[in-house]
Amino acid sequence: MKNYLISILSVLCIVYSCDTNESNEINIYSQRHYEVDKKQYENFEQKTGIKVNVIKANADELLERLKNEGANSPADLFVTVDAGKLQKGAEMGLFQKINSDEINNNVSKELIDKNGYWIPITYRARILVYSNDRVMASELSTYEDLADEKWKGRILVRSSSNAYNQALMSSLYANLGQETVEKWSSGIVNNFARDPKGNDRDQVKAIAAGQGDIAIVNSYYIGLLLSSEKQQEVDAGNSVSVFFPNQGENERGSHINISGFAMTKNAPNKQNSIKLLEYLTSVEAQETYVNNSYEYPANPLVMPSEIVQSWGEFKIDELDLNKLGTYRNEAIKVFDKTGWK
Amino acid sequence: MFNFRHIFNRESLVVCVFLILFFPIIFLISSTFFNYNDSLAYIFENLIFDYSVNTLYLVIITSLFSLVFGIIPAWYISNYRFKGRKLIDLALYLPLSIPTYIMAFTYSEILSFTGPFRIKADLLQIEILGIILAFSLYPYIYSVSRISFSLFGSKYIDISKNLGLSGFKAFYKVVLPLSRPAIFSGLFLVIMEVLNEYGAVKYFGVNTYTIGIFRSWNSMNDTEAAIQLSSILLFIVMFLFFIERFFIQNKRYSFTENSKISLLSNISSKRVVWVYLSCLIPILLAFIIPVLFNLYNIFDNVDRIELKRLLHLTFNSVTVSLISSFLILILAIFFLFSEKLSKSRIYYYVNQFISLGYSIPGAVVALALIVFINSIDQSISSVNLLGTFLVYFFILIYAYLIRFLAVGKSPIKSSFDKQPETYDLSAKTLGLNNFKLFEKIYLPINKYSFFAALILVFIDIMKELPITLILRPFNFDTLATQTYEFAVEEMIPISSIYSFVIISICSILLIILKNYLDKNNVFRS
Repeated sequence: MKNYLISILSVLCIVYSCDTNESNEINIYSQRHYEVDKKQYENFEQKTGIKVNVIKANADELLERLKNEGANSPADLFVTVDAGKLQKGAEMGLFQKINSDEINNNVSKELIDKNGYWIPITYRARILVYSNDRVMASELSTYEDLADEKWKGRILVRSSSNAYNQALMSSLYANLGQETVEKWSSGIVNNFARDPKGNDRDQVKAIAAGQGDIAIVNSYYIGLLLSSEKQQEVDAGNSVSVFFPNQGENERGSHINISGFAMTKNAPNKQNSIKLLEYLTSVEAQETYVNNSYEYPANPLVMPSEIVQSWGEFKIDELDLNKLGTYRNEAIKVFDKTGWK
Repeated sequence: MFNFRHIFNRESLVVCVFLILFFPIIFLISSTFFNYNDSLAYIFENLIFDYSVNTLYLVIITSLFSLVFGIIPAWYISNYRFKGRKLIDLALYLPLSIPTYIMAFTYSEILSFTGPFRIKADLLQIEILGIILAFSLYPYIYSVSRISFSLFGSKYIDISKNLGLSGFKAFYKVVLPLSRPAIFSGLFLVIMEVLNEYGAVKYFGVNTYTIGIFRSWNSMNDTEAAIQLSSILLFIVMFLFFIERFFIQNKRYSFTENSKISLLSNISSKRVVWVYLSCLIPILLAFIIPVLFNLYNIFDNVDRIELKRLLHLTFNSVTVSLISSFLILILAIFFLFSEKLSKSRIYYYVNQFISLGYSIPGAVVALALIVFINSIDQSISSVNLLGTFLVYFFILIYAYLIRFLAVGKSPIKSSFDKQPETYDLSAKTLGLNNFKLFEKIYLPINKYSFFAALILVFIDIMKELPITLILRPFNFDTLATQTYEFAVEEMIPISSIYSFVIISICSILLIILKNYLDKNNVFRS
């Protein structure tokens, strides 16, 4: 009996000493709260046996937590829906560069981080939707045009506390400069149909209810409305059409943002994390993304979902997405100064 | 000889426990309060006016409606006999089981264009939000008014009527002023809840103080400014708090309690409709409609319910609430019993400060704890506190203690206050030591309030959102966090089953509590 125990113990000791301090799991801090993510992690777990643990919270709270946890953090990966937050984390020195040829081959060149700190998995455009009854597509052109007086009392958008709006304002700030962007913001505030409130879908519903004519929303919300099981939501989705702004010949294209992963500086499970990112950018996982969340795929070999394809292709604004983080505070000050609540 | 007993006396023990509990908050405020930086200057120049006006307006609307929904039914239930009175009395407490964010999300869905009525008007207004918040908060007013009204009941009314006052005048001129201290304490809780509210105000686009705290913390990446804003909020609350104490202390009426249980009068047939309407409208709007809406969603999405996950999250919620509420009960008794044993002012101040814990926004408590634990981690390099499940679990409960100790304390405090001093004196004359005194006298007399404290804290923690969201360990979701996640993902129908479990558990506990208190005549009638 005694010998038996000793042999078990020694086997255990060998097993533990061989362990390279990497457990068979990955810890993710996530801002993404989409159901499709859970599905992806389950698929990955089935394929590799690596367990994926997730903590979900607001991106800024998670970054604050990473900063405070420092070298002790259990987190391996950080995922969010805004390149600006990834840039912020990189600037705070929270991340390490990710080197994997497979990942780099999987994703479109124009979406890749120039500094190598984050990996895009999907992207979305912040687009215009307009009432089918009250607006003609030919009346629409650019984001800048929304400040024009002809739209007085017709524009719907959510609050400036929202990260999507902050990213849009940062992109305009980077492209147009402070003075122009402040004028633009004052103009658009004058044109608001109501005080900013609700979420993106609420803006579309407000068009359907006749409270305004044009809304600024993220592209995938239209996909989600149209594929809803609830007839009222499908009706609301059908009452509007999609318009990609700034598509003219000399224009810069529509503002996009990515969902992306960064690896924490002291990731305890580095190899596993790279495996997960390779999987998430693969054709198989990318197809799962587009068909469930209606985002655009980061992998150019995958086509968007059918609903999204029906809106046609569009030119994207090729601004370095890290600038969305660089100009964040300036953008917020523009909102405050011009009274965009 | 050096006397250890002298140093480790009760006073220093109480102060030590208090300091350990609240040190993170004191640490946070003291470390930043005197730095007036650029962000704060910016906030003062551009935003503070808007935040203050909105906060004040929302507080006024919510308070007003909470008072209306709370006081009027409490008056009728306490003094009149009518059919279904007992059941209505019970139902009037039940909205306490619905968290404010669930109430707000539910109504925003019902009142939207894609809701059942296809409403075209824009109802996401600050006034509507104030009313919706009042739906979940009026029970705080109802419960205190109900106790107060049934304590002196019809006796004062009879005297007033004999003196020629009409029913309404008697209520307005005699009963309300007499109940003012009680109503004020309920109102204080309502105001604290409004100041702490985050999810609903954000959704409705109402920029309150809390939004400002989150905006400087999150969007502008300025933790210091966020902490300074919270400190200012804290000082305003403290100011209100001490004014209220001062006001009540100087206006404390000594009225004799009814020697006999107040007799219920019959209502004249003219007023029956009015009585039923004023009692049933709060129940309908604040409980029946939200519950029916959630039930409808559940049946509509029955195939999408993950039973295993639901059970797992229920287990998590119940465990964490149970552990925390027991700890809070023990601490609350410890602090209040110490105060009772000695006349030292220190206990009084400690207890006042504990009550303030409830006024610190949950997110600030969470932030304070992370900053604090981290500073321990960094100063002792061999210690690696952050990063394990147990430590986060511990921090989570620590945060609940800071915020909800006040909730557990208040029923015990009012019960202790009612207990005559002579009991203590006689016990001491008979030679009982403090433990025996507690066991033989305090425990049997105040056990109702202990039970009430336990249940009220349990319910508050079941509903709690911001602290849990920020501090929970890996893979540790609760019913509240899951509800919120689905709701922000714009999937309210799927979130319904989780909110429904919260509402059911809390309602059942409220019903048990109410029956228990009724049986033991705590409410008198």
